[in-house]
Amino acid sequence: MYGYAGKILRVNLTSSKISTINTEDYREWIGGHGMGAAIWFDIVKDKAITSGFDPKNVLAIMPGLFSGTLVPASCRTQMLGIQVLSWPYEWFGRSNAGGRFANMLKWAGYDGIIVEGVASKPTWINIVDDDVSLNDASNLWGMDTHATQKAIFKEVTGSSGLGDWVKTSGNRLTTQRPAVLTIGPAGETRSRLAVVLTEHGNAFGNGGYGGIWGAKNLKAISALGTGGIEVADPKALLEARLWAQKNYATDYDNPKIWTPLGITTSHFGGYANANWSIDPRSKPTGCNGCHINCQPRTSNGVANEAICGDAMAYRNWEKKVRGTVTEVSAKSVDMAQRLGINSKGFQNWLIYLTILYDKGILGPGREIDTDLPVGKIGEAEFIEDFLHKIAYREGIGDDLAEGFPRAAQRWGRLEEDLRTGILPMHPWGYSIHYDGRCEVYWWYASMVESRDVNMHDFNIAAYRVGQEIASGKTPLVPAKQIADWFGELAPYYDPEMMNFATDNIYSIHMARTTAWLLHYSYFWKHSCGLCSTAFSDLVNPNGLNNRGLTPEAEVRFYRAVTGQKLTFEESMEIGRKIYNLDKAIWTLQGRHRDMEEFPEYMYSVPSIGDTSATVGKPQPYYMPTKVNGEWDYRDVAGRYLDREKVEEWKTTFYELEGWDARTGWQTRASLESLGMQAVADELARHGKLD
Amino acid sequence: MSTPPISKGYLLVDTRKCAGCCTCMLACSLVHEGESNLSLSKIQVVSDTFGHYPTDVAVNFCRQCENPACYSACPLPDQALCIDEKTGVRYINQEECTGCYQCVEACPYTPSRIIVRPEKNVAMKCDLCQNTPYWEGEGKQACVSICPMKALKFATEKPEGPDGYTVNLRGEGWAKLKFPTD
Repeated sequence: MYGYAGKILRVNLTSSKISTINTEDYREWIGGHGMGAAIWFDIVKDKAITSGFDPKNVLAIMPGLFSGTLVPASCRTQMLGIQVLSWPYEWFGRSNAGGRFANMLKWAGYDGIIVEGVASKPTWINIVDDDVSLNDASNLWGMDTHATQKAIFKEVTGSSGLGDWVKTSGNRLTTQRPAVLTIGPAGETRSRLAVVLTEHGNAFGNGGYGGIWGAKNLKAISALGTGGIEVADPKALLEARLWAQKNYATDYDNPKIWTPLGITTSHFGGYANANWSIDPRSKPTGCNGCHINCQPRTSNGVANEAICGDAMAYRNWEKKVRGTVTEVSAKSVDMAQRLGINSKGFQNWLIYLTILYDKGILGPGREIDTDLPVGKIGEAEFIEDFLHKIAYREGIGDDLAEGFPRAAQRWGRLEEDLRTGILPMHPWGYSIHYDGRCEVYWWYASMVESRDVNMHDFNIAAYRVGQEIASGKTPLVPAKQIADWFGELAPYYDPEMMNFATDNIYSIHMARTTAWLLHYSYFWKHSCGLCSTAFSDLVNPNGLNNRGLTPEAEVRFYRAVTGQKLTFEESMEIGRKIYNLDKAIWTLQGRHRDMEEFPEYMYSVPSIGDTSATVGKPQPYYMPTKVNGEWDYRDVAGRYLDREKVEEWKTTFYELEGWDARTGWQTRASLESLGMQAVADELARHGKLD
Repeated sequence: MSTPPISKGYLLVDTRKCAGCCTCMLACSLVHEGESNLSLSKIQVVSDTFGHYPTDVAVNFCRQCENPACYSACPLPDQALCIDEKTGVRYINQEECTGCYQCVEACPYTPSRIIVRPEKNVAMKCDLCQNTPYWEGEGKQACVSICPMKALKFATEKPEGPDGYTVNLRGEGWAKLKFPTD
C-alpha cells in the first residue's frame, strides 16, 4: 500500500499494553480522520459517552495519507475523540496541528496512534521507530510545553545540540530531533481551553484535547522516525510538486502581493506574512515539507510560529488601548504557548469580559467578584494574570478554564447574554469566528458538525476577495467569475452556491455550499492531511486568470502517491462517507435535529461584520451576491437570520445528505449507498435510524 | 587518479532565507532512493524551533572539497568513492562500496556529509543529482529546483573558503515581503 507506513499504534494507558492495528484493514477510510473515526467506531463499544473526560474516551492521533511524502503542505495530524470544548454537549470532535509530528510518526512506521484508558501516573510515550515505550513523566509534570520538549529532546537524542548524527535504538542514524506533542499546565489542570502543542507554536487548538490528555495523565508523545514512505510513482510526485510550485505557489524572489485585509495567506499561492511578527528581524519558517512556510521565526525566539488568531489574540487589544503594538503582545502569545492555552479560545471572549466590566457586573466586589485587572486590558499586567489564572484555575480562572459559555452559566448570565448577543458565541459554544448572518455556510457547517468548522475555502474565494472593496481596492476576481468557476466544479456544478444574497442563503444552493465544504475537508484535509492554509485553492493570483489549482492538483497528488485513479467527484463522495461516520457517532451520542441550532442573537441582532480585528468596531461584509440577475460583491452586514427559514434550510440540507428531515438522523438507504451497512446496523440497534 | 580535478559544481545556501521546511531533504531522498526519508537525504537541514533568527537553521551538504578527504580515505578509490572525470563531482558508487565507512570518519565536517545506510551497509553522498533514478532532472539539482524559498543555488565556481558556501540570496522580492535582506 503506497503512501502508508502499514500499521497503527495502539496504546492502552490503563494496562500499559502496546499493540498495533493493520492499516490495510481500514484502507477504505483513506487515512487521518477517516481511519481514526472508523477505528474509534470499532473500538468504543459504548458510544453514548457524554464527556471527553470519561476514561472510556479514546483518542485517535492520525497523520494524513499524504503525510511523510513530498505532497506540499501535508504534514498535518488530526486528533479525534470526544471533545470537552463544545457546549452544551461534548461531541465527538476533531482538532488538527502541523509542525513535524505527522511526518515523523509515519517515518517511525505508524499511520496513527490510538490512545485508550487512563495512566495511573504521569506518563509520556516514546516512539523511536519500532521501539515504543511508556515512561514516567513525573519529572515533566508541571513543566511548560517548551521545557517539556527540550527535556524530551535531550532524553531521546542524548543531547540538546543540533545537527550531528545520532544513532537511534534501532542502530539507524538521524540528524533530527524527535517531534513531540505535549501539554502545559493548562492541560494538567484539565482546562477546556487547553491545547496539545508541538514545536514552538503549532497546536491542536480547539476541542480542549489538552485537558483530556491531562485527565489521562498523558504529558507527551515523542516520535523519531528514520524510515520513509514509499509512493507509487516518485517521478510523477516530484513533477506534480514542481508543477504546482511553478504555476501556483509564490515565487519568493518575485512575489505577487495579494493581501486582502492585509493578512491573507490561506490559499496555495499564499506567502509568509511579515506582519504576523512584530519583530522586523524575523523570517519565514514552516511545517515539514511546506511550500508556503507561513510562520515567523523571530530574532529573540519570542512568539515563534504564531500566526493568525494566535498572533493577533492580544495585539488588537494592545493597539486599541495603548495605540501601539509592543513586545507585550508577542510575550502574551509566547506565554499562552508555554502554558498550553488556546489563544483562539479567548481572543473574542475578551470583548465579553470588557462589556461585563463596563456594565459594573464584573470586578472587585461586584456580582462576579474578581481581582482580574480587566481595567488594564491591553497591558501586560492583565494578560499575564488572565493566562496564569486560567492555567492554574486560580480565582475566576476556574470559571474561565471551563470556556466562556460554561463560565457564563456559572455566573447565571448565559441566557440573557446570548439573547442580547454580548456573549459572542459560535455554534457549539465556540468563540465567534466570522459571521453566520453574512457568511452563512460557515456557520451552517459548524452547526451540522461539532465545532467551529474553521475551513477557509470560501472565506478566501468569496469573502476576502470581495472584502477588498472595504479598503478601496478592486477585487482580484469579479463576483460572476467566482460563480462561474463553481458552475464548473464537481459534484454540484452550481454557480448559485456563491450567491449570498438574502433570498438565496436558505436555499438548496447554500446547502450544497455547506456540503461541498464538509465533504472536501473530510477527504482532502482531514483524511489526506492537506493543510487548510493551502487547500482548497480556488482563487490564486499566480494561476492563469487568477484560478487556483483545485481540483486538478489534489487528484494528481493522490494518484502519484497511491497509484490509484480517483476522480474529484469520487473523492467528494468518500468525504461524504467519512462525514457520515462522524454524524452516526453524534447521533449515538444523542444528537437530534432540535439540537442543531444557532445562538439566539442570530435571529434578532443585526450583524456588524467581522469585528475580530477591530475589537468590536463595526465593519462591512462584502460577499458575492446576485440581485436582479446581476452578480456583484455587496455589503451584507446589517442583516439577521429568519428562524423559520433556517429550519427550512436544515430540512433541505438533511435531505441533500439523504437523512430524515424530521429527526436529522440518517437513513438505512443513504448509509448503505455509502457502503456503511455496519454503521446502519449499529444505529438501528439503538433505535436511531430512520 | 593522482591529482583529482576540482568539481565543476557546488551547492550554495542562504541560511537566513531557508525556512527549515526540509523539502529539499524529501526531494533528495525521493529522486535518489524512491522514497521521502530524512535519514537518506544527502542534504541535512536542522531547524531549531526554539532558535533565534538568524542562527536557527543549519543546512549541511557536501562541499565537493578540492582535496576530498573522503576520497583519500576510501580503500577503493575510483571504484567506490569516485570523481567524475567530466564534471569533477565526487560521488559514491554504491555497487562497489563495502561499508567500511572510512569516508564517513574522514569527512572534516560535522555532521559528516557522508550518509550511512546501515541496512544496505553502504555509504552515500551528494552527487549533485548526476544519477537520479527517480527523476529526469536534466542536469538540475532536485534540492535547488524544489526549494520553495529559493534558498539554495547551484554554482559552477568554487566558493572561497568554508564560508563561501553561505551566500545572500535575498533580493528585491524578499524586501517586498518586508523580510530583512542584510
